[in-house]
Amino acid sequence: MLEINNFSNEILQDISFKLDIDENLIVLGQNGAGKSTLAKVLCNLLSNPNVKLFDKNISSFDENTRTHLINYIPPKLEIFDEYITVFEYLEICAIGEIKKENIEEIITLLKLEHVKNRYCATLSSGEQQLLLLSSALIHNAKITIFDELTANLDISRIKEVFDIFKSCKLEQKIIITHNLDLAYNLKYKILFLEEGRVKFFGSSEDFFTSKNLSEFYNDSIKFVDNHLVINL
Amino acid sequence: MKKLLYLFGFLIISLSPFLGDTSLNYKEIFEPSSSTYTIFWDLRVPRIVLGFFVGSILSLSGLIFQTIFKNALITPYTLGIASGTTLFTAISIVFFPSLILAISGVAGSFFTIIILYLISQKINRSSIVISTNSILLIGIALSFFYSSGLMLIFFMSDLQENYSIVRFTLGSLDVVGFSSSLIVLFVAMILYFTVTFYKDKIKLLLISNDTALLKGLNVNRLNLTLLIVISLAVGISISFVGPIGFVGLVIPHIIKIIYKQSAHKLIFPVFFYGGVFLVFSDLIARNLNTASSLPIGVVTSFIGAPFFVYLLIRRSSKGK
Repeated sequence: MLEINNFSNEILQDISFKLDIDENLIVLGQNGAGKSTLAKVLCNLLSNPNVKLFDKNISSFDENTRTHLINYIPPKLEIFDEYITVFEYLEICAIGEIKKENIEEIITLLKLEHVKNRYCATLSSGEQQLLLLSSALIHNAKITIFDELTANLDISRIKEVFDIFKSCKLEQKIIITHNLDLAYNLKYKILFLEEGRVKFFGSSEDFFTSKNLSEFYNDSIKFVDNHLVINL
Repeated sequence: MKKLLYLFGFLIISLSPFLGDTSLNYKEIFEPSSSTYTIFWDLRVPRIVLGFFVGSILSLSGLIFQTIFKNALITPYTLGIASGTTLFTAISIVFFPSLILAISGVAGSFFTIIILYLISQKINRSSIVISTNSILLIGIALSFFYSSGLMLIFFMSDLQENYSIVRFTLGSLDVVGFSSSLIVLFVAMILYFTVTFYKDKIKLLLISNDTALLKGLNVNRLNLTLLIVISLAVGISISFVGPIGFVGLVIPHIIKIIYKQSAHKLIFPVFFYGGVFLVFSDLIARNLNTASSLPIGVVTSFIGAPFFVYLLIRRSSKGK
């Protein structure tokens, strides 16, 4: 369960919403709307007194408890040491002890066996995003925030990621994305940000109406066979 | 390859006390009354112990500093610790000649850390991670401030004092007896065990500060602990041997290139070869046929500076 009340800073203005324990969320909005900033606020990378996790203020948790509750996956893999391998990275990403088999399992699940012993810095941007997803599965926090995880993935990989999101691998997810078709088919709750303000917060059915799409996306998007496509 | 390198390292260390401008009469090494005994046990062996552990402190400190600041070109001196120690030593040479230099040196490094810490606390109250960049900039500003201070001391000193300060800044491993070598050995051990104690946490720093925070690490506290231990260790070493340059920059990079492993696996090799490098540089400094041995700082920088340039070129050609 996650709650934020009246949060404002240079980018965001008066953000409040509440997610119940079984609800997932999609965050939509244009570039610069404040999506990533919101994500960093929710996971306390930008420290604040406005976020509550499971009815307790986020800054009141000790580091160890907080890390079990919430995790944030950035859009790009950032890694200082150029000689850390994929396997080592995943080992480091586990909080507490983890068995080598469990890491192997997740590597197999995401079909990353062929890069297992490569240095993370040498992976393609798509492979790096899959690695980030693996790290989220290994960390396995109660709430995981994904920031544009699918931006660099090829079509078949997006399908795999979609299936993982749909499965029960992670408890509660908050997904920031520009992929409207993915957002539409996940059927999660929708939060739409515009210039740092919440423009829409509600169910998927309520959001994906022709009226809303033309209002929020200026007719650049349309329904075709129950999918959303760009209106080129 | 790696075992051979270790062997080579040991060879340099164990041969080093036998080579020097005075040739030894090897039969007399264990005869306390002979001059060979004095040269070997009171001059050369302590010098090599001192050189080895100063080298290993500087080199391991370089590796950890580069990790804390996420910048491959940082040295233990970048934060102004070396210039702080030098300034304080110069002040005590000119104004308090009776004071033991090591004490003023340590005071210099400690003073620098406290200033850095207080200023960085003031700057970054809102952000959860004290921005390492602002610490870096303050450190560089401090270095300039200290350098001007040193100029002032030069201006105020007489010829004799002037000469002593210059000799200090050149760096020298000249020691008599074991006392300073043992202090540096002790400091090096503290540093080594502190770093290995925090190894699992340092692993997280090797990825990014954000990741480390999300995995539940108190990044500020770890950074601060490591900064204090390293700065004191470096400050103490400098106060004994002067600001010897480039070891802290060059050795971690050479070891990374040879081992191709992430830094948390390189703690021992970096520590060991840092020591070997300084002993080797000193061996060269002592055995070139000059009137007296060359200042050690000159030799390390002659090897270090070209390598530094090479690294820069290599990095840019990789497009990083």
